[in-house]
Amino acid sequence: MTTKLLSLRGIRKAYGAVEAVRGVDLDIQAGEVLALCGDNGAGKSSLVKIIAGAQPPSGGTMQWRGREVAFHSPQDALREGIATIYQDLALAPRLSIAQNVFLGSELTRGPLGLPFPQLLDKRRMVAEARGYLQRLNLPQADMGAAVERLSGGQRQAVAIARALRWQAELIIMDEPTAALGVRETAQVLSLIRTLHEEGRTVLLISHNMADVCAVATRVAIMKAGSKAIDRPVAGLDPDRLAHMVMTGQDMPAAA
Amino acid sequence: MSGVLARFGTAFAGLLVLLFFAAFAENFASLGNLAIVLKETAFLAILAIGFALALTTAELDLSIADVASLAAVATGALIQGGAAPAVAVLVGLGVGLGAGVLNGLTVTVLKVPSLIATLGMAAMAKGLGFMITQGVAFVGRWPREFTGLGRGSLLGVSNLIWWMAGIGFLAWLLLKWTRTGLHMVATGEADEAARLAGIRTGRMKRLGLALAGLLAGVTAVLLAASLSSATPNMAADHFLYAIAAVLLGMTMIEPGRPNIPGTLLAAFMLKALGNGLVLLGAPYYAQDIALGAIIIGSVALSATVMRRAAFTKKLNFRTAG
Repeated sequence: MTTKLLSLRGIRKAYGAVEAVRGVDLDIQAGEVLALCGDNGAGKSSLVKIIAGAQPPSGGTMQWRGREVAFHSPQDALREGIATIYQDLALAPRLSIAQNVFLGSELTRGPLGLPFPQLLDKRRMVAEARGYLQRLNLPQADMGAAVERLSGGQRQAVAIARALRWQAELIIMDEPTAALGVRETAQVLSLIRTLHEEGRTVLLISHNMADVCAVATRVAIMKAGSKAIDRPVAGLDPDRLAHMVMTGQDMPAAA
Repeated sequence: MSGVLARFGTAFAGLLVLLFFAAFAENFASLGNLAIVLKETAFLAILAIGFALALTTAELDLSIADVASLAAVATGALIQGGAAPAVAVLVGLGVGLGAGVLNGLTVTVLKVPSLIATLGMAAMAKGLGFMITQGVAFVGRWPREFTGLGRGSLLGVSNLIWWMAGIGFLAWLLLKWTRTGLHMVATGEADEAARLAGIRTGRMKRLGLALAGLLAGVTAVLLAASLSSATPNMAADHFLYAIAAVLLGMTMIEPGRPNIPGTLLAAFMLKALGNGLVLLGAPYYAQDIALGAIIIGSVALSATVMRRAAFTKKLNFRTAG
């Protein structure tokens, strides 16, 4: 029995005369890894920005856990439990791993148990940040290390750890492997699998068909602002998926 | 080892310079002389801490010295006119804070780059200072209650040194141990990332510039109290020194980032350098030349430190399973 986490009905987005999204219905089930594919200009970025609260839709409704919602900022979405990991990761490169995991939601405590002044609880933040990274199968010795010293895959892990810290139920990942090498891509895919095993819901935007086939459970393909295809990934291979993205037509399995 | 060099290299170099003066400049290493140097560091250090706090949020405040002069003149005018010292001090601090708040609003609301906004503020403050004084200095036998702020001492240590230590401690506490301070650092380091994490970056920038203004006001009050006078360009000499202290401070302790211990250490080193040059009989312009070289050199050096930090080997993440 699956439960609907997010449900979009008739979502539209117009920029002046240009209609980027034309009445999309999309359901995201709790615990699935849904890949959102489509060529450049198909409208997937616009759709994702709407879900993430980065821009309002021109029309349509959005239900989160059965309740109608309207996000006016990424913070609104975050409060509801929708965290977006942007392509450029939105990390502060010269701050430490622990500082990045807790950025904007730091833990504090009063010295000697006093209520004032509230000082940063660095020890607890380091310990908890380590815990989050351990859950992502990435134990790391030095939580005080600057994020700029990490590899792309490790940074992705820090960004995901932050989403975990926010207790996000839906984690949106925008092209998480676009700038990564082979080994780091494998690392990020394994992160997504870990999230899936933990029962988190992931919305993965990707151009990489092999990645989609490797980790997604379902795929939605956008074509010219509309949803053309919505189906399970099982039984698909990257070539067939690529063909579907190009044509917008579902294709029977090769005999 | 290279970490130690990056964090303390400049401090070691400074120590060598001090040792050189100790060896060749008569009286330099005497306790009395060093106490005077430390005391005189206070004005420059407090002004520099303000500059460092604004710079932490990636904003420049080039108006600190002229705002300090204006605040000193405002305070002096009131004292001269017989106002209660407490009122005069509050007005001095208020002028500084007010200028800082205006700078913050100009930068974050009107979107004028701080380089330009504070340069404009500097010119206006200077003009207002001359307007209030009509070009002459306020000098007089001012009440001890007021002059004691700068001239008095506590436990045998000059009040100026206590002010410097107290303000330095509070600024350090703010940046290193409070959420607000960390949000200021994050704003300066990665504006967009901080904003996406829900940090109100505009507010952090306004705070940084307001504190720079407030500390210019504090410097003004202490200067006027110590000298029993106020002139419309009394803080001008401290301007380049304050900037140099912050930039030189960025080459140590926390390389590449404005930091309070580095700023304090650098401020003392700069004052000691000036003092040593005077004791050696160097011409008056030697200080300016040295100061300019230090400003350029420290930025070049801290950029190198940053480059090195970026290219050190990747840390070792182990992938389990």
